[in-house]
Formats: sequence, structure tokens, C-alpha cells
Amino acid sequence: MKVPRLCAVLFILAALVVSGCYALRTSSGGGQTEFTPPRQVNAKDVALPDGYRIEAVATGLTFPTGVAFDHSGAVHVVESGYSYGEVWTVPRLLKVGTDGRSHTVVAEGGRNGPWTGVVHANGRFYIAEGGVLEGGRILRVEPDGNVAALVEGLPSYGDHHTNGPAAGPDGWVYFGQGTATNSGVVGEDNLKFGWLKRRPEFHDVACRDVIATGESYESRNVLRSESDEKVKTGPFSPFGRERKKGDTIQGRIPCSGSIMRVNPESKALELVAWGLRNPFGLAFSPEGKLYATENQFDERGSRPVFGAGDLLWEIRTGGWYGWPDYHAGEEIFSGDRYASPGKPRPKRLISPPSTPEKPVVVFGVHSSSNGFDFSRNHAFGYPGQAFVAQLGDEAPTTGKVLAPVGFKVVRVDIRSGVVHDFAVNRGKGNGPASFLGSGGLERPVAARFDPTGTALYVVDFGVMMQDKTGAKPVKETGVLWKIHRDGR
Amino acid sequence: MKTGAGKLAVGLVLVLVLVSLMNCGSARRSDPTGNPPAVTTESLRTGQTAFMMHCHQCHPGGDAGLGPALNNKPLPGFMIRMQIRNGLGAMPSFPEKKMDDATVDAVIEYVRALRKG
Repeated sequence: MKVPRLCAVLFILAALVVSGCYALRTSSGGGQTEFTPPRQVNAKDVALPDGYRIEAVATGLTFPTGVAFDHSGAVHVVESGYSYGEVWTVPRLLKVGTDGRSHTVVAEGGRNGPWTGVVHANGRFYIAEGGVLEGGRILRVEPDGNVAALVEGLPSYGDHHTNGPAAGPDGWVYFGQGTATNSGVVGEDNLKFGWLKRRPEFHDVACRDVIATGESYESRNVLRSESDEKVKTGPFSPFGRERKKGDTIQGRIPCSGSIMRVNPESKALELVAWGLRNPFGLAFSPEGKLYATENQFDERGSRPVFGAGDLLWEIRTGGWYGWPDYHAGEEIFSGDRYASPGKPRPKRLISPPSTPEKPVVVFGVHSSSNGFDFSRNHAFGYPGQAFVAQLGDEAPTTGKVLAPVGFKVVRVDIRSGVVHDFAVNRGKGNGPASFLGSGGLERPVAARFDPTGTALYVVDFGVMMQDKTGAKPVKETGVLWKIHRDGR
Repeated sequence: MKTGAGKLAVGLVLVLVLVSLMNCGSARRSDPTGNPPAVTTESLRTGQTAFMMHCHQCHPGGDAGLGPALNNKPLPGFMIRMQIRNGLGAMPSFPEKKMDDATVDAVIEYVRALRKG
């Protein structure tokens, strides 16, 4: 055998060994496990850099998603009231009891979760209400618990919801609005999420007018389960409706895949940025710049997109961030980079309204990088750096992974774009506590510093298993963790 | 001088050694759980930055994720380079216009530093 040929054979064999032949391997997501309540909680199972300590300050929460502190510094959490898997409870704002178990209910919502986050500013709480059944809202909670909507009717009936909020230095309340779909086209995956049957006319809403390329996707008519009928669906359209080449897709506000802001006094609503998929976490840096985490494409539905890591963006007013045709500023419709193995590459859906922005950081694919905050105090360390909660993969629903991704808190140096693990479960491999059989972190969904900046609170959503039929969340497994420096 | 068959035998032994070493030890190298490499030189910084932009999303910190772990695989540098340039299976290729030769060199140096932990 000639040397070049031998080298080629060796390369292929070795590379196959190293790659583990991706197509042949089954998914091994962190949620692909079994769990029997009650959840064990043990801070010693969480590893931190030297000099830091973690403790559980509240346990037994049901689907918690956010933490905030009132004017006296008292700790409050929101429980979502809804989880993927179509599990409904009552959304609540709770004042956390000092014993970690007995909490005071400050406010309750109706059957319109998920409440995805909370912030306290100027003596009031502001809550993002996901709005699965009645549309998204931004709620204002007065000190006496009275709840009023600042804005309502947000397009939140789909896969992703109304997120945030963050209090801007300008006095406005900023929030994210997720898209209805994975990549612009309503399909069979949306039936699995539960909403397509409830709202068969729902679809993504553009923020500004965009021009359709005329591409559409064929799928089984899943709204008629007994039928083999095929239908074609275009972007920003109801299931089964096409878009012709050159069609103007009308933009309007409120819209999908955007960051908007509302004035808490006048209730005026404005668009800040668009072309995002699911901007979940929002935070202002110490310099007053707005940043957002974005849950990126999944490998599912009529237009699956492979290998798109979650992103951290610096948000520029008026900026367009590329959805549904770009990831991190790259075309997903060119080359083989984003083609799901064995499937054609995604087709271009719209003419780009402008050049897409470039991200600050690329996180792990399917890491579900969510709520975050910036360190502001040298006493905690790493001032100016972002601490990001990663809920973890939802494989196999969102796509296959070879090992659990996320399930931790990472530290991001936004100047260099380097990501470091900060709080992770101990063990030979990565994963949620239920996967590892430990008492550590399960699914961190938000991270926020207390008003002194000396303690980082981490909201842990709790156990959410996954299989081919979707999510299997477990009530009363949520935890609020607190991380601080030794002796401080 | 070795014969063609001899070279093939050497190659197969090499592959078997690689197989036997596969998944040896943990691939974790993060601050809290392992020994992350000290990034002390300009080329390591270049490699780390490029790794974060192009590699980290499928191999977080060199650990397994969407793709397999890198930190516990004893691939020699020329094979890492071939895989970066040509891709394989689900991994995309990174041509010159996306990652120049100097950056590939820096990524290889950083991946080796990660592996050592």
C-alpha cells in the first residue's frame, strides 16, 4: 500500500474512532434519565473555583424561573406556572422564607404562564408573563400585591414566550419576545409542543416588512391525523399556507423574535432589536449596555438546523440579528455547516433586511443559555464579567447530543469571548444531578447578583426529563442557590 | 526500509493504540473540576479565542456535547489539522478563508494544552 493511501486510511479510521461515528450513536442528553422524587439537594456535589461556596436557600419550588430583591434586599422568586410538557400550575411571586421552605405569596397569575422572569425597580416588581393561552404580558406588581398589565397581546402562543424583563437605566422596562417556531416554518414539531392544535392559525410575526424568497416546506397535514395529505408551509405563515417569491411579509409591533421596551408610566411600546430567535436573558452591563442571551436553532421540524450554538449579543438599538436565515452572522443556507445529517441544508426564506450583527460569545449547542447578570463588585470577583445560567439540553426533542450540554453556570469574559465553567456538578462527566445521581445542580435557568453584589443567586428550575414524546417536568424539585466568597 | 505491508501493520497498531486510549480519563478541564491550561502565550490566546468561536459550541471546553470529547483523545497534530481542514461526518470543514494556517496552528496548540490539563 502506498504511503499517501495508507495515511488516508489511517486518518479515516482514526477520525472515525475519534468522532465515534456520529450517525450511529444514540442521543445522550442530560434529561434522558429517570428520576424518583424527592430531589436530593447537597451543596457538596457542586464544584466551584477555590474560595467560593454554594448553599441552597430555598427548595421544593415548582418550576422557578427568576429571582429579584425588593428595596430591603428581601429575596423573591417567581414560579413559572407552566412547563414544557404542558404541565400547568399557578404562577406565583414568592417572598422566600428564611427557613427555605415557608414562603409568602406576594402575587399570583392565572392560566397564562409561564412567568419567565422578574425584576424589581422603583419600588415595584415587573414580571414577564409568557402567555401560552392568552398572549404575553409585562406585569407590574405593586407592593400590596396588586397586579396590572403594562403591555398585553404579545405573540407568545408558540414554542417561545415573553421573556426577561430588565430595568433599563432610562427607566423603561426591556423584555424579549421569542419566536413561534424553530426556524420560521410551522410544522409537525409545533404539534408536539402542544400549541398547533390550540391555535392552528398562529405563526411568526415580522417586526418590519421583509421579502419572501418563495421557499416553502412540505409536511404531512398533522392537523388531520387520519389523513396522508401533504401540505406546504412558507415562512411567517400559518401551517399549510405558502409564500410566493417576492411576497412582502408585513411587519408590525409587537412582533416575534425581538427585544422591545415599554415605558412603565405611559405604557408606550417600542422595538429595540429584531431578527432574534428566543432572546431569553437580558441584562445591562455596568457601563449601561444591553446584552441578551439567545437560544438558537434546534434540529427539529420541517426546517431543522444543525449545530447552532446559543449566543450572547450586545444589543444595538435597531439592529437585526439574522433569524431565520443566519446563525452568529453566518448564512445557514450555504455550504454543509448547518445541514442536519442526512438532510438537505436549510433554504433561504427571506431577503436580509440588513447585514446581521456578530455575537460576543458562542455557547454550547442546545445548552439553553438563559438568565444572566454582570458582576459589579470586586468582593465577589470578576467585575464586568457575565455569569450565565445554562438550563441544559432538551435532547432528543431539540436534537441529538453525544453527552449532556449545559446544566451549569458559566462565567463569560465579554472582552475576549472566553467561556469558563463556574458552578458545575462534580463527577467524571457533565450533566444534571438526576443524570449523575447526585444532589447538585439540576437545570439553572437564571442568575442574578443581590443588591450588594457579593452573592450570586442561581435559580434552578428542577428536574425536567426528556424523551421522544417531549418534556417530563417534575413539580416541587426547584431550588434557589446562593454562591458567595468564603468568609464574606 | 519498511515494506508496504509493514507500514500497514504499523498503521493498524497505531489505530489500535488510539482505540485503546479512547475515553481514557475524564475530559473535564474546567476551572472547578480540572486543571484548565494556563494561557500564557500569544499563540495560546489566539488558539483559545478561535476555539471559543469555532469549536467550543460542539466540544464545550474540549468536553463532549453535540460532538465527541477532544480532551481525552490522543490525536496527533497532523490529524487534528486534517480534520479541521476537511471535516468528517457531522463535523464541518474549516477552509483557509474561514481559518488561516496560523490560526489552525494556534488551535492545535490550544487543544494540546487542554488535553494535558
